[in-house]
Parts: sequence; C-alpha cells; structure tokens
Amino acid sequence: MATEERKQEILENLKNAVIEYDEDTAREWAQIALDEGLKANDAIFDGLVTGMEEVGRLFEEEEYFVPELLMCADALYAGLDILRPHVEQLDLGVRGSVVIGTVEGDVHDIGKNIVKMMFDVAGFTVYDLGRDVPLDKFVEEQLRTDSDLVCLSAMMTTTMSGMEKVIHDLKEKNPDCIIMIGGAPASQDIADKWGADGYAADASNALKDAIDMVSSLKRLKQEAEAE
Amino acid sequence: MTAKERVASVFAGEKTDRPACFSGLGNVTTAGLEKLGYKFAEVHLDSRQMAEAAVSTPKLFGFDCAVVPFDLCVEAEAIGCEINTYAHTEDLFYPTIKEKVIHSEDEMDLSMPADVAEKGRVPLVCEAIGLAKEELKGEVPVGSYVLGPFTLAGQIMELNDLLKLSFKKPDKVEALLDKLADVIIAVLKRYEKAGIDYLTVREMGATSDVLSPRIFKKLILPNLKKIFAEITVPSVNHICGKTNPIVGAMVEAGADAISVDQRNEIIKTREELGPDALVFGNYDPFNVLVSGTPELVEQTINKCLDDGVSAVWPGCDIWPTVPPRNFEAMMDAVRNYAR
Ligand code: B12
Repeated sequence: MATEERKQEILENLKNAVIEYDEDTAREWAQIALDEGLKANDAIFDGLVTGMEEVGRLFEEEEYFVPELLMCADALYAGLDILRPHVEQLDLGVRGSVVIGTVEGDVHDIGKNIVKMMFDVAGFTVYDLGRDVPLDKFVEEQLRTDSDLVCLSAMMTTTMSGMEKVIHDLKEKNPDCIIMIGGAPASQDIADKWGADGYAADASNALKDAIDMVSSLKRLKQEAEAE
Repeated sequence: MTAKERVASVFAGEKTDRPACFSGLGNVTTAGLEKLGYKFAEVHLDSRQMAEAAVSTPKLFGFDCAVVPFDLCVEAEAIGCEINTYAHTEDLFYPTIKEKVIHSEDEMDLSMPADVAEKGRVPLVCEAIGLAKEELKGEVPVGSYVLGPFTLAGQIMELNDLLKLSFKKPDKVEALLDKLADVIIAVLKRYEKAGIDYLTVREMGATSDVLSPRIFKKLILPNLKKIFAEITVPSVNHICGKTNPIVGAMVEAGADAISVDQRNEIIKTREELGPDALVFGNYDPFNVLVSGTPELVEQTINKCLDDGVSAVWPGCDIWPTVPPRNFEAMMDAVRNYAR
C-alpha cells in the first residue's frame, strides 16, 4: 500500500500527464496507481480529471487551443482505459447517457467534440452521431439507447432551425428525455421557445447543467416509483 | 467612379469617391435567388446560374463586386472528394464534403491529380467568372477565393486528426500542406486566366479560435507566403476570429490586403500596421447584417470606417437571408460617410 506521500506523487503525475498531453506517461502512471494499490476512482478523479480541469482553465485563458485540448483528452482516455476495468461504479452521484451530434447540413464539429469530451470525462456513456446528422437519426438513437440526454449542436442559423423539429419529435415520442442545445447561434431564448430543457454557452456549463438535470430527473423517477 | 475603378483604387492605395463596400467571400442573397427563380442547392452546379446569382448582388444593391463560388468545397472536390449539395431540401444548406479522401495518418502522402485545375468544378467556376464579367461589362469587379492549405487539409481529412498531428507529426502535416499549396496555386492560376479582378485566400480553419498564434506562425505562414508570391492579381488574406495577435504575420504572408472579422480591434490593428496597410473588415455579417436593424447596420458601418478600415467588408460570407433593407442601409451608410 502506497504511503500518503507516494499517493500524492502518483496523482500529481497522472494530472501532469494529462496537462502535458502525454499518453504514454498517463498509461504508465495509471498502471503504477493500480500496482501500488490506489483506488481506481481516486486515480481517475483526483488525478486524470483534476488534470483535465486545469486544461479547461488553460483553454479559457488562451494558453491552450483546440489541438492541445484534444491531445489532453487523448492522454486522459489512455489512462482511463487502464483504470476503468477496476472501477466498480463511477460514482458521480449520477450516471447518465447522452446522444450527441451536430445537426443536418452542418459540419462544424469542433465545439461538439469538446462538449462530448466533457461528458466522457464525467463518466457518461456517450453515443456520438458525428456531424451533419439527419434529424430523424437523433430520435432513432435516443429510442434505441434510451439515453437520458440528447445534445444538439449547430453553428449556423439555418441548420439550427432543424433543432426545432428534433425537439418536437423527441418530446412527442419520449417526454422524459432531456434535450440540450448549443453552438454559436443558439441561446437560452431559443431553447425556451423551442422547448429544449437546457442551453449552455460552453462545454463546462453544459456538463454542470446536464448533471443537475439528470440528477433531478432520476430523483423524480425514484420518488414516483416509491409511491 | 465605377465599382471596378473604386476597388482598383483601394488596392492601389489611392483616393476613392466614397468608401468601397465589397467582399472577397460569398455574398449571394436569397433576394437575388428569388428574383432569378433559382434554388440555392442548384447554383453551385451550373455556371450560368452561378454567375447570375453572383451578379444579382451588385445589380440589386449596388454592391462593389460579384464573387464566385459560394461554397468551400471546390478544391477538395478537384482532389477527389464527393460533395453533398442537399438537393432534397428547399432550406438553405451549404454544400459539404461527403467523404474525405484521407482516412488515416498513413494516407497523408496521397498524391494529387496532375491536372487538378481541370478537375471537379474548377472549370465550371472559371466559366462562371467569364459569364459574370460579360454581364457586368467591366463596371463591377469579379472576385473569387481559394482555401488556405490548412483549411483545405481540414476538408480532405478529419480536422480533429489534423489538429493533433500538427503537434505530434508536424513533418507529415507540413508535407501535406506544401502539396496542398501547390494545388491551390494551380487552381488560382486558372481563375486568374479566367479573368478575376482580385482573389481572397481563406484560411479560416486556422482561426485563432482554434489554433494558437505560435502554431500559426510556424505551420500556416510559410505556405501562405508561398501562395501569395504566386498571385498576380490584387490579393487578400482572410482569417476570422481574434486576429489581433497575428495581424503582423498576416501582412508578412505577402497579400496586398488583410481581411479580419468583427472580433478584431481595428484601432489597435491600425496602430500596429500603420496608415498605409490595407485592412478590410470588419462588420458581423450575421448578427448585424441579417438580424440587426437598419440603424444598427448604419452605426456598425460608420464605426468600421471611423476605426480605420480601408474598405467596408464583411467578417465572413454574407448570409443569404440578409433583409434587403439592411443591405440598402449598408450601402447608404457608405455613400453618406464623410471622410
Ligand atoms: C472553423 C469554422 C469552419 C470550419 C469547420 C471545421 C469543423 N470540422 O468544425 C469549416 C472551414 C469547414 C467551416 C465551413 C463553413 N462555415 Co464556418 N466557421 C468556423 C469558425 C471560424 C469557428 C467555429 C469553431 O469551431 N469554434 C470553436 C469552438 C470551440 O466553439 P463552438 O463551436 O462555439 O463551441 C462551443 C460552444 O458553442 C458550446 N457548444 C457547442 N455545441 C454545443 C452543444 C450543446 C448541447 C451545448 C450545451 C453547448 C455547445 O460549447 C463549445 C465549447 O465551449 C466559425 C466562426 C466562429 N468563430 O464561430 C465559422 C462559422 C460558424 N462558419 C460560418 C459559415 C458561414 C460557414 C460556411 C457556410 C462557409 C461557406 N461559404 O461554405 C461553411 C459551412 C459548411 C457547412 N455546411 O457546415 C458562419 C456561420 C454564420 C451563421 N451564423 O449562420 C460562422 C459563424 C462564421 C461567421 N462569422 O459568419 N467553418
């Protein structure tokens, strides 16, 4: 069993591997963490995810740009691959699943990929439909996977209007499903008008709001079942 | 002055009767398409329709140019990508690449077609350039654009991979960009032969929203230099996003003018580049021109000019659904602007 000091050292190395987007080092220290008896959960949340939070800050400060962000995510995934089989349950208070994609006619997927990464980091099961996704595909995929959330991204005003149809169709088929929208032309007003449950201007707020909504939905469900 | 004389004077750094109001990026309008009875999905595939649609903007509004094409897929298509024009819909969807030709890092050494400037829609765009010139009788300049190598690379391979490889395998990315620069040069030579009056190079995939100024200087700048050195007509270097940190590098690339969007602080840019540099910009083509009021349009245009742009020019493609009264308000603002 590692000493407290050694444990901190391991966590620090996991964190830095993510910040320095070093996949090999992330893998190496993830293995060390397991070998020396750290809990996989701690290695993930106090190591890898702490690193990713720092990366988010560096991105906001324009120290890091999109390529760095994507590479840091790869380092995180590399460590996660080793640690995940040893986690009983990723306990975030909520475990959710999400269908995500950029709507038909729109190939802008950089922002969508960042939002997706946040959900991955938080332990959500993510069904990524990619970009230029035919509108019906969102509904089909939600029904197939019974996901808690559907996230729609659009970067152009015209393609954004496709969201209205998806929201309508989804709510008709499955009123419980939570729908979030985002992308440059979207706004809280539009989300309200079209009946989406949430809107967020950036990826970290998207995740926070999603967790809030999924938790309260689950609470409601549990209460209903208890009665 | 005719629009053509006005734009030529701007590029020559000479005085004009009023500020020029033009663009090097797409500016077809729904108003123009409706008048012609053309569908947006079809104008990309027919040289006459393309030319007429482009010409409708100066004809309807007195805009100082006509520009073809309207989408960003021409070069990628010439290299071998297939495009989607969304023919099934009446909605306004811009063409996109259906299938990329580079699927993995190993395929980055793809060889380019030898006669790339004869492939895909390059000849069609050239025809449209000729037809537009005929139609405008030398009174309004006809412009066109090509992509920058990095943006083009993002069209023919997965952008996520390209971004990561820019760090991990810079040599491979550099080799690809160098090859793509040659493709772009071949295409723009063909446009020059077809008679364009000016040319814009759009490197919007390398915007500072996505890529750091450091990588920009290392990876993007050398190829832009190579391209601008080959252009013989007046040239414009367009990049969007927070461009203040890279305006120096943009000028260094060697274009006659730089084009920036609404997030550039023109006053600072002017201070940095001096009074003679040609800086085009920088109104928001969507939030001002499409969804703003005519008053907001007028204020914005006046501010661009007060801040010191060399010509009134949008930050990106003019979005087709621009309300005619807003377009008119823009043209009125430049006519009324007292230097
Ligand atoms: C890069 C880019 C491209 C690249 C896209 C590459 C790719 N794979 O994504 C290329 C060159 C291919 C491209 C093409 C075009 N583009 Co473009 N492009 C941009 C640009 C410069 C940056 C977008 C970006 O990635 N930003 C960085 C990311 C990180 O930010 P983001 O996407 O906003 O995402 C954040 C938030 O919005 C939020 N978020 C995003 N999605 C979601 C989803 C949910 C659920 C939530 C909660 C949050 C959320 O979180 C993200 C992270 O914080 C923008 C201008 C701009 N600065 O926005 C124009 C822009 C989007 N493009 C524009 C245009 C016009 C086009 C073209 C039509 C040009 C043409 N003539 O063909 C084509 C469209 C092709 C098509 N049919 O899709 C316009 C759209 C105008 C409008 N309002 O409708 C813009 C706004 C430029 C402008 N100022 O006019 N483009």
